[in-house]
Amino acid sequence: MSTRVLATVTCLTLTIACSGNDRQIASTDSAVVSPPAGSGLQPVALPDFSKMEPSAQAQMRAQVAALRSKIADRSAPPPDLGANYGEMGKLFMAATDFDAAEPCFLNAQTLAPSDSRWPYYLGQLYKAKGPLEKSIESFERSLRLQPSDLATLVWLGDAYLAQGRAEKAAPLFAKALAIDPASAAAHAGSGRAALAARDYKQAVKDLEEALAREPRATAVHYPLAMAYRGLGNVAQAEAHLKQQGDADARPADPLMRQLDGLLQTAEAYNVRGGAELDAGNWAAAAEHFRKGLELAPNDTSLRHRLGTALYQMGNAAGAAEQFEQVLRIDPSHARAHFSLGALLAESGRYDEAIAQFRSALEHEPGYVPARVQLASAMARSGRAPDALTEYEKAIKADPAHADAAFGYALTLVRLRRYVDARDRLTEGMKAHPDQPMFANALARILAAAPDDRVRDGRRAKALVDSLMKGPQTLELAETAAMMLAELGQFAAAAAAQRDVLAAAQQRGLSDLVARLTENLRRYERNEPCRVPFAEAEYP
Amino acid sequence: MKRAWVLVIAALVLGCRGDTRQPTDSQNARPAASAPGSASAPTQGRADIGQSQASGDNDLFVDRAEASGLRFSYFNGFAGNYYFPEMLPGGVALFDYDNDGDLDVYFVQGDMLGAGKTIADAAIPPSGPLPLKGRLFRNDLTINADGTRTLHFTDVTEESGIDARGYGMGVATGDFDNNGCVDLFLTFFGTNRLYRNNCNGTFTDVSKASGAADSGWSVSASFVDYDRDGWLDLYVAHYVQYEVAGDRPCTGLTGKRDYCTPKVYRPQPDRLYHNLKNGTFEDVTAKALGGASFGPGLGVVSADFNNDGWMDIYVANDGRENLLWINQRDGTFRNTGPLSGAAVSVNGRPLGSMGVDAGDADNDGDEDLIVTELPGEGTTLYINDGSGLFDDQSAPSGVGPASLGHTGFGTAWIDYDNDGWLDILSVNGAIEALKGREGQRFPYDEPKLLVQNAGQNHFTNLTPHAGAVFQVTEVSRGAAFGDIDNDGDTDIVVNNINGPARLLINNVRTANHWLGLRLIGAQGRDALGARVEIVRKNSGCRSDADPKCLKRPLWRRVRSDGSYASANDPRVLVGLGLSTEPPMIRVHWPDGRSETWNAMAIDRWTTLKQGEGR
Repeated sequence: MSTRVLATVTCLTLTIACSGNDRQIASTDSAVVSPPAGSGLQPVALPDFSKMEPSAQAQMRAQVAALRSKIADRSAPPPDLGANYGEMGKLFMAATDFDAAEPCFLNAQTLAPSDSRWPYYLGQLYKAKGPLEKSIESFERSLRLQPSDLATLVWLGDAYLAQGRAEKAAPLFAKALAIDPASAAAHAGSGRAALAARDYKQAVKDLEEALAREPRATAVHYPLAMAYRGLGNVAQAEAHLKQQGDADARPADPLMRQLDGLLQTAEAYNVRGGAELDAGNWAAAAEHFRKGLELAPNDTSLRHRLGTALYQMGNAAGAAEQFEQVLRIDPSHARAHFSLGALLAESGRYDEAIAQFRSALEHEPGYVPARVQLASAMARSGRAPDALTEYEKAIKADPAHADAAFGYALTLVRLRRYVDARDRLTEGMKAHPDQPMFANALARILAAAPDDRVRDGRRAKALVDSLMKGPQTLELAETAAMMLAELGQFAAAAAAQRDVLAAAQQRGLSDLVARLTENLRRYERNEPCRVPFAEAEYP
Repeated sequence: MKRAWVLVIAALVLGCRGDTRQPTDSQNARPAASAPGSASAPTQGRADIGQSQASGDNDLFVDRAEASGLRFSYFNGFAGNYYFPEMLPGGVALFDYDNDGDLDVYFVQGDMLGAGKTIADAAIPPSGPLPLKGRLFRNDLTINADGTRTLHFTDVTEESGIDARGYGMGVATGDFDNNGCVDLFLTFFGTNRLYRNNCNGTFTDVSKASGAADSGWSVSASFVDYDRDGWLDLYVAHYVQYEVAGDRPCTGLTGKRDYCTPKVYRPQPDRLYHNLKNGTFEDVTAKALGGASFGPGLGVVSADFNNDGWMDIYVANDGRENLLWINQRDGTFRNTGPLSGAAVSVNGRPLGSMGVDAGDADNDGDEDLIVTELPGEGTTLYINDGSGLFDDQSAPSGVGPASLGHTGFGTAWIDYDNDGWLDILSVNGAIEALKGREGQRFPYDEPKLLVQNAGQNHFTNLTPHAGAVFQVTEVSRGAAFGDIDNDGDTDIVVNNINGPARLLINNVRTANHWLGLRLIGAQGRDALGARVEIVRKNSGCRSDADPKCLKRPLWRRVRSDGSYASANDPRVLVGLGLSTEPPMIRVHWPDGRSETWNAMAIDRWTTLKQGEGR
């Protein structure tokens, strides 16, 4: 609606309101919800609903109608009217229309001054939109009404931290911990306050506690890493940086959870489902995507993500069905081609997988992961030279793509080009120092390649010794055994191999057990291994 | 710029009388409501200027674009399809292309996107000359006998030979062939281009021959001599893999159509090109840049972040971890972003990260970083401890809170009042349609922001007192910073989407003194990367208790990169505060050598050449 029309409508509305009943209902198409005359409340300028999807329009209009009806009802107690304003505000806030939400919450707060919800929502609104001072003021007000509310304490502390006032934040987190010592969010907040005050020791203590309480709060790893850095412990800092993720340690927050689930649109479900996917809650993610698809059955993003969630739930057939449906809607959907290809490759249907990866690349030539998977499928189906070509293209498109470089090197191994493989893995180690797979694979080649020119037991040992300082895997342990055998230490090799075998048996890895047993027999016969990789170990 | 689903700029101000000050949609510039998220600036900000402004002339910057003939508007071709590239352009360069001692201007220009689309389909038609292409304006600055300046710009695009059509994104400047004349590297949604300056007012397109003209979507680039061989190499930040034919419609939470976020598309890897000294470049990305995931890159700045004498590179990535490429001094770099503390927010979150600059904010001799972000994030301030480890001081410094509510793009550390402390100016424009403005054709305009450095790592928002140009809302993107009228203070050129470019001339009247240096290296060109240590004989402090009283040397550096998709004045302008004595300066050249000049004349521009100092 143009500015001039909006102004005209506004004037007309106010004129009617001034001349008639104090709470006359304005036209449902009016762009403003006027408060009762003389109430001192604020008018609410409505957004243009017409460009919203129908479900959002319906929700908005229903809520507006309910509010107008309550405004017109002279017998409605102020807190009831306040609640209606509040519900309107929540819906606007869920739609991130903070300007429309603000007067609603302010009115709700005026009408129901003892209801802590409204200043709480205002605190969240100002936290998102600014200014921070108002967020703090609102949270403080809510806290006065509900002094023991954990969520308010944590968010108020958070707001003070955002303002750079750690000294105000710390006591709030301390109070939260006094109320709930198990609160990961309060521990995390306390840790961040300590970090801001450069009390690194305390920060480590608090943040470690937060993680112990909520290991899935992967976002805590970052401030913890910074705290370790502050203490000069770079190794621990780097270890935590590797685990850093997006999941916050959040307080139980029923008010915000309510708001987050309010908007019933396809995109809102997509966002909610995406958050559940990120958090690893596959079933919850799938449910959101399904609800979104009820509103928008042809939404390929929703459907592709549903497929992803189903796959994670172990339902490969269900996932494939969704991906195929995406492609019926949009044959150029590169990600769906990729996902379908990945499923096919996993079940050994390489020719079909290759076709899907090629389709993905046809529509998106720069899709490096698709090219890497194409190369992998080719290599696994006996087309190693073609695989090399595709890996090369992937590396050219994205020189930083470690999987492409690794795949190329291992394909050289498939082709028994051990010298080239050794050189590529050596380059890969330098280019990707944080990817131990290069060092491990190189150690294997040096320990077990059938090519005498390549084998170097001592160099393999140096690599294994270095790798052993990091995470110990079955794969690495097997490499160590190969290395020992290459150095002629067959008894030690056999002993190491037995340990690996026992671990594999414990995990029920029957294929691995068979291979490990074969190598064990070799070592017991004082023979080295000359098969650096089993088929299953190639990318 | 990940979707933050936050800020809405204050909407309409309505009254029954009607609002007679209707904005013209073609300009999309309107007086702002209150600057969002801003605290009122304390009066001490004004008192710090040194002396009161002339009455009736309180604006700190004044727009002289129209008056000086610098007429340009970036045309993004918006026609209702919300093609992703429309949201991010365009850059602007300040550089002396004709070596006459003043800064000329190059504007990047856009085009229509979409098969079969013509200008007639555009929601907001172009306002400049056709055909659409980047434009070069020669600065015909006149310094009058009484010391006043007359600024005049002449469009010399046709005679320059620069025929840069296509969907332009950004520009970088540097003399890559060491012939003494500054060249242009233009980034595109499309194929990038390299224009060699022929030193006679013309340029030659050497893109194909150079080996540096890759395709895809690039925004910012930086000429940097990373191997200290005296020849400028080139870092190009790429954004995402996107084709118009594969465009995906995106919506907000309510289903309204809007621009996508970069998460919808895959990042395109950045490139590093090594100068082979023969007019060509070699792509050394695979060899030199390993072990990091490239993000959708938007801003690039190069500086020596760990004070080892070698140039490092910082890349602001949109919605992903920023990269801090630390030079390993063997032709390779290592990304230390995560451990450095400058990759993400203090809470570990990747931020929008569009514009970027490096400068010594706390005057302790190292390069600190600012990165402009999304409205709910606030500008990030990373303070360097001198070793390349950073501390996020956005919140305690006040920089973050002051900039909440803004979608920041072009930015720089500038000492707007020459008091010796670097301030922050950023130009802004939304990436999500502003709520309540559905009637407008392109509702993404925001005001600019000026934040003053009050010393001791404390900053205050000066915007409400900065003048009329800071109340105008526009869709600003590129900004280039430099002394356009050679009067010893920093001016700015701003490129706006679908709106007039701005020439913001510094209007601050102050008793503070300044030092202007053009540093020419052994190769006969601007010594990009050189650092200057300025030792003032008297600090000019009013009192030792003044938080701005500084007795340590000041450090500044020669640079053209930073900001957003733009190129800055490579000269070094140093605010000396009230110090009246000619300072001693020590220049640390990019090749590792250092030279000293005693008693540098102040309040003027001086050219220093490598080899002529002590």
